[in-house]
Amino acid sequence: MRVEYINPFVESAFNVMKEVLQGDIKRGELYLKATSMPVMGVAAIVGLAGDVEGRVLFDMEKVTALRIASAMNGEELKSLDDLAKATITELANMITAQAVTKLHELGFRFDLTPPAIFTGDNMEISNQNVEALIVPMETGHGKVEINVAIRERA
Amino acid sequence: MSTQTAEKNSLEQLSNGKKDKADKIDFKMVSFSLAGKEYGIDIMNVKEIAKAGNFTYVPNAAPFVRGVYNLRGDIISIIDLRTMFHLPAERKSDDALESLLILKIGEQAFGVIVDNIDKVIGVSKEGIQPPHPIFGDINIKYIKGIIENQNKLYIILNVEKLFAPKEEEKPGRTDLVKEASVKMPKIGLGGPADDALERSMDVNADFIKETLFSFRNFAVSKVNINWFNRRYNEWKAQRKPTDLQLRELAEADAFLEPFYSPFTGALWSAEYMSALGGIMPAIATKSINVWNPGCGKGYESYSLAVLLKKMYPEARAKIWANDSDLLAISMAPNMVFGAEGISQDHLDFMIKNRNGFVFNQAIRDSIYFEFHDVINNNPIPPADLILCRDTLSFLSAGNQTKLLTDFNEKSRQGCILILGKNEVMPLDNWRRIEGPSLSLYVKAD
Repeated sequence: MRVEYINPFVESAFNVMKEVLQGDIKRGELYLKATSMPVMGVAAIVGLAGDVEGRVLFDMEKVTALRIASAMNGEELKSLDDLAKATITELANMITAQAVTKLHELGFRFDLTPPAIFTGDNMEISNQNVEALIVPMETGHGKVEINVAIRERA
Repeated sequence: MSTQTAEKNSLEQLSNGKKDKADKIDFKMVSFSLAGKEYGIDIMNVKEIAKAGNFTYVPNAAPFVRGVYNLRGDIISIIDLRTMFHLPAERKSDDALESLLILKIGEQAFGVIVDNIDKVIGVSKEGIQPPHPIFGDINIKYIKGIIENQNKLYIILNVEKLFAPKEEEKPGRTDLVKEASVKMPKIGLGGPADDALERSMDVNADFIKETLFSFRNFAVSKVNINWFNRRYNEWKAQRKPTDLQLRELAEADAFLEPFYSPFTGALWSAEYMSALGGIMPAIATKSINVWNPGCGKGYESYSLAVLLKKMYPEARAKIWANDSDLLAISMAPNMVFGAEGISQDHLDFMIKNRNGFVFNQAIRDSIYFEFHDVINNNPIPPADLILCRDTLSFLSAGNQTKLLTDFNEKSRQGCILILGKNEVMPLDNWRRIEGPSLSLYVKAD
């Protein structure tokens, strides 16, 4: 993944989460992962198109998703219902959109697809031929892993 | 500029965590086996390793003292660790060679017989756990601790205690050993000791290989074995026979120093560029795809971009430069240079801004710097040129093979491959082109 893409994603993830969750956010060490990976329980995915092709995946446990959704809505949510799912989707959208805006300012043209959310147990996501950059974020509500896989159009 | 600095800082912070981890190798041990179990001894206590036999029997010594031995003029006692620890030992014929660890404790040197000497392992001191009775056989007092490394448990022996001059628990043991080493007259140099030394050279070379890999991740393979053998003989000529091993990082670096290609971590000189341009076969296509794995800070990517622009001004070059070192590669896209030491070839493609010289947009647009690990999938379009200097050698042997296969798959016919000056291409469908300080290949079919 091109070096120029890394910082916008890291920064916007940090800024957005700090703003909406009002808590202490810690960023873990970045690393690369080969294609396929298990998903923790809830995964919001945003596709990217344009100069590049790829996707951004927000991966977290169900408990974390519920807590984040509760914090963002200002009320205690008991189950991962439509409201909770919509909230997580919105978080993914906010972070990706801000990153893409930053990249646009640097001269890279990206388009977003509407986010989608997957929930379930023992899920695995794989896409061939592209490695993913993992940005681990430690929030007061649990761990969120942001998984960015972007490939240049050859 | 401020965003650039912020970017730099945040990336520096990111990679600091990584660095901490790498720094943690603070304990090195030589591993060996006794009766099928793995043991380790602090490398600081190990003077050398050897293979020897024909020990001179010392009457009335403890059963674990196999005798004495003339190690290049020094008479040392030979102790069989297996007998000492009451482990089953295969009794070889008298002239068979045994694996010896020569230990140095205080002023005394000892030879210790073990079943097999394995390799040097670097571990973190923090990972050493105190001994537990369950690990058996040896008296707990003599165990420094247990460490796990690559799913194996190693028992680290406390050799200072084991061979301490004042041994209270087992009086007489070291006295006997001492007497044995004093009473034997010196026989002088030559004889079986030197033969054994000769034979132990291969083991020494193996040890250096292991150490290079654990210190610098340098893996000896078909790619660089010629260089290694040359360098090993040089090294042997420079150093005392007892001082061959690489004990610390600085020594490993000294060993590797002549390996690196010219202009590592710097822009190429005019001479190097014309030498390379002179022997490089012509590239016919108008759009040149270049793959540059392990580009480090990106100097060589820029130099190559300049060279291609000069040789083929009409063609459109695209350089896919990648490295798995986040800190190094993250500086690459925005590199700023001072004017001195840059050849005119480069200056022609640079513009001056208030911080110094930077490459012009055309050059910068031709290079894609990527944070990427070549061990993972390589989504690279078929390449016309592969620049991979001193990168293969720093992958494990298995990954070297994988990357070489990728070179084959991701290259067009007639693709040019540039390796480090001391590296060779082991696959035989690549034809070598000779040149000074260069290792250049062209893909046949």
